Amino acid sequence: MSKTVDGSVRHRRSHTWTKLSDIVSRWSFMAPAALLLGALLAYPIFYTIQISFSRFDLMTFGAVEWVGWENYAHVLDDYRFWSSMKVTLVYLVLALPLQIVLGFGIAFLINAEWRGRGLLRALFIIPMVVAPVVAGGVFRMILDPLWGIANYLLGFVGIGPLDWFGDANLAMATIVIIDTWRWTPFVVLIATAALLALPKDVFEAADIDGANWWSKLWSVTLPLLMPIIAATFVVRWLGAVKMFDIALAATYGGPGGATNVINLFIYEEAFRSLRFAESAAMAVIVLVLTMLLTGLFLLGTRKLEDRY
Amino acid sequence: MSALATAAPARPRRGRTGHGIRVAAGVFVCLLFLFPVFWMVLTSFKEQRDIFTTPPTLFFKPTLEHYIGYMQRADISRRLINTIIVATGSGVLSIIAGAMAGYALARIKLRGAGAIGVLILLSRGVPPIALAVPMFLVARRLGVTDQHITLILAYCTFLIPYVMWLMRGFFLALPKELEESAMIDGCSRFGAFVKIILPISLPGLLSTLIFSMILAWEELLFALVLTNRFASTIPVAIAGIAGDTVNGANWGALTAVGTITVLPVVIFALLVQKWLIQGLADGATKG
Repeated sequence: MSKTVDGSVRHRRSHTWTKLSDIVSRWSFMAPAALLLGALLAYPIFYTIQISFSRFDLMTFGAVEWVGWENYAHVLDDYRFWSSMKVTLVYLVLALPLQIVLGFGIAFLINAEWRGRGLLRALFIIPMVVAPVVAGGVFRMILDPLWGIANYLLGFVGIGPLDWFGDANLAMATIVIIDTWRWTPFVVLIATAALLALPKDVFEAADIDGANWWSKLWSVTLPLLMPIIAATFVVRWLGAVKMFDIALAATYGGPGGATNVINLFIYEEAFRSLRFAESAAMAVIVLVLTMLLTGLFLLGTRKLEDRY
Repeated sequence: MSALATAAPARPRRGRTGHGIRVAAGVFVCLLFLFPVFWMVLTSFKEQRDIFTTPPTLFFKPTLEHYIGYMQRADISRRLINTIIVATGSGVLSIIAGAMAGYALARIKLRGAGAIGVLILLSRGVPPIALAVPMFLVARRLGVTDQHITLILAYCTFLIPYVMWLMRGFFLALPKELEESAMIDGCSRFGAFVKIILPISLPGLLSTLIFSMILAWEELLFALVLTNRFASTIPVAIAGIAGDTVNGANWGALTAVGTITVLPVVIFALLVQKWLIQGLADGATKG
């Protein structure tokens, strides 16, 4: 009798012990990432928020006194901030749809079955791994108004010479072209995998029903691809809002701020003009906007996934 | 029925011309996308007088002057070593922390795991500039600017969420029985992870590691902000050459350093291209 009581007590104690060690072993997997991200991601964000509400003292290089919304008021009054936001918006609206459409179109082309298909797909990796800053610099050379090969070749078809970096609208186009060159291959690679994974029987059924090419695209292919198009869009969006290197290397925001995307503008304000408080306020505004839009896009993706 | 019979033989013929056009267009587009890289490599071997010509020179006597001359002048070899150290360090650190966390998200029932998942996804949208300002200030106060470790840690901010998300998708696709049977056999959870899960996930781990290292390799903003002399990386040098408005851009140097930057990455990426493409596709789909 006493033996069994003793046994059950020991059993219970070892039970709580195993339960505790179980919890520890579960969370220990999360711990390194949580610690690193807490220290390197969460803390700096809080610090940025603190600076954005403070006066920044350049003597001590720190936030000294609480000034409320003053920095935000300055920023919102600054026409350069608004023009930079507009530039960023124009870039996003032009580049993202262009890259998605081009990417899926090219994927369709290079998915044609022939011996060189694998090679083509592999070669499409190359632009993707060219550092953005290199891409910006190299395109600066290719698009040079005087010596660049682009204007030379365009001359044969009667275009130009174009001032790729001097004209405000064209400079934006230049940025979009470089970004599209760099990022479309990424979409292509995702799209090729998606196209290959499409179920064949649906298309056979559509053929039997006498569907033509166009109606197959609109009512079979696109709905099937919709979730992956949405997912690709979100991934591209997350990259595109960080646009910095290409603009810095190719145009440095010029001419006259025509390609001064917000990240470049904040960088300049902080590290060239040393206006840390205003930069922090801008960074917080951009952060909040990005978070909101990212959340919105993620929700949209979920909805799409449920629908199809 | 009869319509089917007549339609069927007609299709392959029309398909073949269409097929030919598709292949040709695919090859053309591919070459178009490769041209800037080709032009960069070509220009890097040109003498100065062959670079500034109309029409552009295709055939010329190749020279290594840009490689030799500029490498010595701008400390490119030291920057190259810095870039290798930082890319390797941040890649390895992120893959360890990120793979463990990704496994936790995919397989272990944690209270609040859903919220953590959403936070990670959102954190991928954090603009680096929002981190660059405080990181610079903190690093300055701690006296750790211009050191490799600072840059390595800074890169973890975007690499860990990236790795976590990719590896989470990867682990979700594995059959659950794998580690369950191992744990019944007396393996601890960690033991099962190390002995069973990691080995079969090797392709995914490797492609994620390589991709992380590429992201670190080409990063510019943090490198500009957090380093100045000692730990400075290659992208900073390139930004400097491209933005040199005083002397005009030195295209020979730009393309030579660009080629040095891009070449190892291209070789690496092509070596593991199958895994890389698979990893990319999984990363986008298995959200």
